[in-house]
Amino acid sequence: MTTSGITRRGALRMFGIGALGVAGAGALGACAPSGAGTSSGGDTKSKNFDFTSWSLNEEAAKPSIEKIIAAWEKAEGSKIRAVSYPYNEYLSQLTLKLGGGETTGAVHLDIAWLAAVAQMGKLADLGSVALKGGYTNVALDSGMYDGKQYGLPWNTGSIGVIANSSLLEKAGIKKHPTTVEEFEGALRELKGLGGGVVPYAAATKVAQLKDIFPWMQTFGCTLLEDSKVTIGDDASIDAVTWYKKLHDEKLIAADVDRFDARALFGQGKAAFYDDAIIGKGVTAAQSKDKTLADAMRPMKRPVLRAGDTPQALLWGGVIAIVKGKGQDAATEFALHTTTDRATTTEYFAARALPPSTTAGLSDPKVAQDTFTTEWTEKITDTATGSPFWQFAQNAQIEEAVAKQVQAVLVGTSKPKDAMKKAAEEVNDLIKR
Amino acid sequence: MTSTTSTPLAGTDRLRPSATSAGRTSRRRMRKDLLRSRIAAWTAIVVIGAFGMLPVYWLLATALSSPEQTFQFPPKLIPTDITFSNFTALAENDQLITYLVNSLIVASITAVLSVVVATYMGYSFSKFRYRGRRSLMHMVLASQMFPQALLLVTLYAVFSSFGLLNTYTALVLSFTTFTMPLCVWMLKGIFDTIPDALLEAASIDGASRWRTLHSIVAPLAAPGMIAAGLFAFVRGWNDFIFAVTLADKEKQTLPPGLVSTYIGEFQTAWPELMAASLVVSAPVVVAFMFLQRYLVGGMTAGSVKS
Amino acid sequence: MSTAAPPQKAAPRRERSGGRLSNGAFALLLTAPGLALFAAIIIYPLLSALFTGFFKQDLRLPGREFVGLENFSYWLDGEFLTILKQTLIFTFGATLVPFVVGFALALALNSGLKGSGFLRGLFLFPWVIPGVVVSFLWMWIFNANYGVLNGVLMKAGIIEESISWLGQPGTAMLAVIVTKTWASFPWMMVMLLAGLQTVPKELHEAASMDGAGSIRRFFAVTWPQVRGVASIVLLLEFIWNFQHFDTIYVLTGGGPAGTTETFATAVYQTAFKGFDIGRATALGGLWMVLLLILVAVYLRITERKGDAR
Repeated sequence: MTTSGITRRGALRMFGIGALGVAGAGALGACAPSGAGTSSGGDTKSKNFDFTSWSLNEEAAKPSIEKIIAAWEKAEGSKIRAVSYPYNEYLSQLTLKLGGGETTGAVHLDIAWLAAVAQMGKLADLGSVALKGGYTNVALDSGMYDGKQYGLPWNTGSIGVIANSSLLEKAGIKKHPTTVEEFEGALRELKGLGGGVVPYAAATKVAQLKDIFPWMQTFGCTLLEDSKVTIGDDASIDAVTWYKKLHDEKLIAADVDRFDARALFGQGKAAFYDDAIIGKGVTAAQSKDKTLADAMRPMKRPVLRAGDTPQALLWGGVIAIVKGKGQDAATEFALHTTTDRATTTEYFAARALPPSTTAGLSDPKVAQDTFTTEWTEKITDTATGSPFWQFAQNAQIEEAVAKQVQAVLVGTSKPKDAMKKAAEEVNDLIKR
Repeated sequence: MTSTTSTPLAGTDRLRPSATSAGRTSRRRMRKDLLRSRIAAWTAIVVIGAFGMLPVYWLLATALSSPEQTFQFPPKLIPTDITFSNFTALAENDQLITYLVNSLIVASITAVLSVVVATYMGYSFSKFRYRGRRSLMHMVLASQMFPQALLLVTLYAVFSSFGLLNTYTALVLSFTTFTMPLCVWMLKGIFDTIPDALLEAASIDGASRWRTLHSIVAPLAAPGMIAAGLFAFVRGWNDFIFAVTLADKEKQTLPPGLVSTYIGEFQTAWPELMAASLVVSAPVVVAFMFLQRYLVGGMTAGSVKS
Repeated sequence: MSTAAPPQKAAPRRERSGGRLSNGAFALLLTAPGLALFAAIIIYPLLSALFTGFFKQDLRLPGREFVGLENFSYWLDGEFLTILKQTLIFTFGATLVPFVVGFALALALNSGLKGSGFLRGLFLFPWVIPGVVVSFLWMWIFNANYGVLNGVLMKAGIIEESISWLGQPGTAMLAVIVTKTWASFPWMMVMLLAGLQTVPKELHEAASMDGAGSIRRFFAVTWPQVRGVASIVLLLEFIWNFQHFDTIYVLTGGGPAGTTETFATAVYQTAFKGFDIGRATALGGLWMVLLLILVAVYLRITERKGDAR
């Protein structure tokens, strides 16, 4: 009997010969991809340009950005080509296309990605333009890399802890816990409520386990000092041990990323979770409980010893400009989008993303939003960028640490060994 | 709609034991056997049916629920307030139509191109003997085992230098990397089943080799070619990583298109994603219900009979 | 396996030289379009990628530096064996499980039930939903905190607390295999059913009359007839699973703690998330070498047996 004329044995053999042929030819393979693109020229004065942003395709964000684009096109009589990639693939796609010279014009970047992209040497220095914007200092900083202003800050916020005040009340917790110890006590109280409550919906999936960095900092680990990784020190081990304890006591749950945390919080099953300021709207929208929005409160991250500075991660988006085609118009567009008061206010109203300019922040519509002002005061004010952002390998660094932390959580590794391994990997990544 | 292909009544005939059956005992025995196999068959269908269909049900149920309902736990197995808003929202998103059209175009062209090229190659492999034939065949099959990500880096650079990024051409060519080997392999098997005597006869009748291939062999192999094409279509329809890298919004296909629309920075729009997936898959599912007999007939022609 | 292979055509059929070309030239001409395409879009990219394995190269930056075997030793001293093991577990699991499921269903549908044609069509559904969507659907089902699977199991009283299917090393691989099974069993079923339908019913009746039970009948009558189709679907599915990417990437991203990482996801993540093409391609190269060794061993064995093919 034949199997399409090729027998199983024959088929197995062909793997070998195929591989042989390929490998043999490999010796001749001096033909490598060129990688680098060609088009760094182009008409910088062109009125038309590209705008690349992941938000341009996302259902929730698309309408408000399209509005900004349409208004600009109408006013300037120009054409903006919208380009977008899925958020999770954005950085790799952008990198590939920027390297190939395909990406031009304005580019929306998460501030965590700025360094990785800026190092490619294709972004314009916007130092002189930024001076015209009236941006806040913390916002300007978020668009800087290596002393140069590569990004005009669009939205500047932070990632911090959000608490469900009605759930806290139910558990008899009168005020937000301020120290780690109080926090842990509060979590136990909350667990006592029963009903499948996950007191703290902390990230436990690799994708967002970088949320543990602020906790490591809370425990006193600096993460990086004079370009030396300090993960692996006692403070970081303490932090991970503590995280593991919360995990084992089911005070935090396994397999949680930001989406899951919001869902849990939305169901009233989580009392605390980490999110960016924008999370409030998203979480409230997917909750059945229409009073939840009012119960959501930004909370200062608990500290190890009373008096320590609460830790928070800076978060936001900038618009960078690629040198070359359409550069000038794209720069104007970016400046307009990020600073025009009417535009930023409307954008804030639609998406709850706080503006990055002093004027924009003081607009009554923004200033009267107590959640936003409270957030700025309690969280953004002490927020810092991650020391790893300066490295192109940031994503890999975060993942390497996250994987080790996860190994601890699932019990395949001990905190000390895991952090030692994480440090080795991060050191290796930084050196590359 | 779906008549079986080779021996249509294989099963139903068994209901009435043929007259030649010997004796009452064996008849009773067969009836008992039949009953037993019926029970086994239904058990298998129910169990596997549950495995196969419950997720589809859940896809539908999710598509019909509101976002608040989606994240409830324990989940409502039967959605109570059914909403069609996730479906009506689709009508307003014309970008999805673009993705669907792109997907259909790219997957179809890929299928046709792969089948055409593979027909010649498969025919050559099947009906001629020459040096290096075997190595070539082996290389074709083995090439399916390497990770696409490995090809992607170079393909991107190549397409970029030819200005082919964001074109159907780039997508079709990249999909062909995995559809062509499959088609060559399938079609070679199908040509193997066409008796050499037929070709000899054609040659004696004075038909040229091209004519033999085009007017005698190809029609005979047509069901197989359709089957290979359908397989190529599904493989192309499913691709994610080539599509996300080689095309932008305008030429993007469904898999990356759906992901970028509904799996966002801040939220995953499950109900909308499910509704959209259901709507865009429906035409293909229906088409396949009609075309499945080709799938069956073509694909197994070469392997079952010897 | 190859009991009835097509007869070897020892002599080229010179008599059929209608055109001006010799038969060999004609045959090569037929393969030309395919070969050209093959060389351009498969061989060249593959070779150039493999060559890159000897360099330290960043996806983002031009230029590279020759580092010899450093990238290879990075994997060999590190995760290579783990990834290999996981790839094999996934490949075998995601090939055999859908095969068994598909075969069982094919047997059931072949037993002469009414409407089996319609059912067969219906079962194709999972196969035609775009693969990425399938993965998201199952991610949604397996979700630890609001997934329907946990909901159902809890309602049925089988479990008391949510199980983190995708968050634990053991269950994550299981979940990935189940998902892939769901997407693959339909086409295997269709193929196997077609094979079954060619089994003459007289054979069954005869065997039944000889007193053979259903299990014996299966091995004596059914199996020999469908062995051909079975080996095709197994081989194809094996090949595809070996480099399968979407399901794992979407469901677990290779996690938790790297326990579902396979060659395909590792190469992708290294190249496109870590921008390290040197290491990514080195892993691809190791993968090839591995296959090469396997096949070399295999060839030795078969050739000693005097296999002439």
